[in-house]
Amino acid sequence: MFGVNLASTLKMQRSVSSLNLNLSVRARLISAGIQSTRDLLHVSPKQLSSETGLSQQEALEVLQVVSTGLGGASISALELLQREEEEPKSIVTFCSQLDTALAGGLPVGKTTEVCGTPGTGKTQLCLQLAVDVQVPPCFGGVGGQVVFIDTEGTFLLQRVTDMAAAAVQHCALLVEDDEQRVAMTTFSVETILSNIFLVCCHDYLELLAELHLLPDFLSEHPRVRLLVIDSLAFPFRQHFDELSQRTRLLNGLTQQLIAMATNQNLAVVLTNHMTTRLQGSKSQLVPALGESWGHAPTIRLLLQWAGSRRLAAIFKSSGHMDSTIQYQITSEGFRDADQLEQP
Amino acid sequence: MVVLREGMCPGLEEGLVRDLRAADIKTVEDLVSSDMEELAQKCSVSYKALFAIRRVLLAQHTAFPVSGADLYEELLSSTAILSTGNPSLDKLLDSGLYTGEITELSGGPGSGKSQVCFGVAVHISFHLKQSVIFIDTTGGFTASRLLQMLQTETRNTEEQMEALQRIHVFRLFDVYALLDCLYSLRGGGLQQASVGGGSVKAVIVDSVSAVISPLLGGKPNEGDISFYWSIIVHHTCGCVYT
Repeated sequence: MFGVNLASTLKMQRSVSSLNLNLSVRARLISAGIQSTRDLLHVSPKQLSSETGLSQQEALEVLQVVSTGLGGASISALELLQREEEEPKSIVTFCSQLDTALAGGLPVGKTTEVCGTPGTGKTQLCLQLAVDVQVPPCFGGVGGQVVFIDTEGTFLLQRVTDMAAAAVQHCALLVEDDEQRVAMTTFSVETILSNIFLVCCHDYLELLAELHLLPDFLSEHPRVRLLVIDSLAFPFRQHFDELSQRTRLLNGLTQQLIAMATNQNLAVVLTNHMTTRLQGSKSQLVPALGESWGHAPTIRLLLQWAGSRRLAAIFKSSGHMDSTIQYQITSEGFRDADQLEQP
Repeated sequence: MVVLREGMCPGLEEGLVRDLRAADIKTVEDLVSSDMEELAQKCSVSYKALFAIRRVLLAQHTAFPVSGADLYEELLSSTAILSTGNPSLDKLLDSGLYTGEITELSGGPGSGKSQVCFGVAVHISFHLKQSVIFIDTTGGFTASRLLQMLQTETRNTEEQMEALQRIHVFRLFDVYALLDCLYSLRGGGLQQASVGGGSVKAVIVDSVSAVISPLLGGKPNEGDISFYWSIIVHHTCGCVYT
């Protein structure tokens, strides 16, 4: 009997500092000598409030956190596979080589970072994706809306209009059956522009605030399938005296983005700058925001120049092989490189 | 630190608890480490009664020592060694992952930590036919990658599906969700996950730093993850985290 009691008590025991409680509430509990949930068994809110000096409401909340809050359900890998195969899983980029390397396109439900020196086409790719996410499902697209967070002021309406017109024309040429004909009526330059929700953030506080408010926005607009932040680096490379604070903020932000991507089934695309890393007498061009930021995005793409050719390289991905492909940027948008140019 | 409450043991009534609290004795530790005579005078209770209470509380709350020989016997009978699927890695780890132990994988971005975790999960689930719990905090878990790895092991789709079914995935993104999950696994979740195919032989967390780094260097210690590791590990399963 004694043994059983001890075992079940041990099972119930959990340090108070591991519970998701307000700091001041936690401090009161600890100063009253309550260090583990074992001390909160069979205690009424009134008793707890008189022992610790918490209000009745706070005491009630503490007991609720203790009694509930035991993790979500797990899902087997098989179920995940079935889900991955059912739902639209990638956004085409209209550059077939890149789409092939990414096994279909930019994956929905994951965070992707696009980095490169200025002029390589990061914003162009983002604008292209904002148009491509809206391609109707019967043409192989995702048929979703997009939230575009612009921190640098590089969102050019005329460019998006040109890309949208090219995309509409491209799909119009592919129409084969009635379903696609009907879909084309809702896929026009006007509708494309109306499905892009543009937000301009001027510094990192506005960006963090926007991301904090985003889940509510997304629940009101369930058709959003893409979130673009162009660029993430710009607001975070200014005004930071303490780099460790920047790292903490970025890591917290990343977890928020990953949670949004997974739970709301979005593709998240972030652009990053490049910076120079000095090692002794050698210098190297590396993505900005620090080494620890490198762990954050699930997929990382590097856009770079090689002479006169534009190359895109996948250099981090848990589901694709590292590879490099060539692309070009035309008046129609982000496309495959011309056949003639390739070696 | 266990708070003193009435009814914990015979002789500990409400009035006495109140008096003790007034004398700044709030927990069992405070009572056991204070001077009995002085305390008996302050709280106007007999020395003998207080001493009896102290004895009962000590018996209830001390740890039990275990002899080294018994511990060794237990380890020999309950420890299993799980191969990671990669012979060189096994050699490095002295033939594989030991149950009851925690293995940490660290490396720069893109160095292959998640791939090693997938490989371990696939190997344990397919070759050893045991269950695996995979806690993903980075959003990098792709079932199709696991399927790709399984397809190199066997062409039989049924076997592939069975192996995938033995891998249970939790997708959590903050430290409290992770702690809740580990706690629930400790409190019986491991047995639940074992239903339907092999007991859980490994818990893989990819990655711990993703959820802890937002807190490092900022506010003071927010929760002791290593405490939960040790608890889970005692449930005879190996643990890998990145």
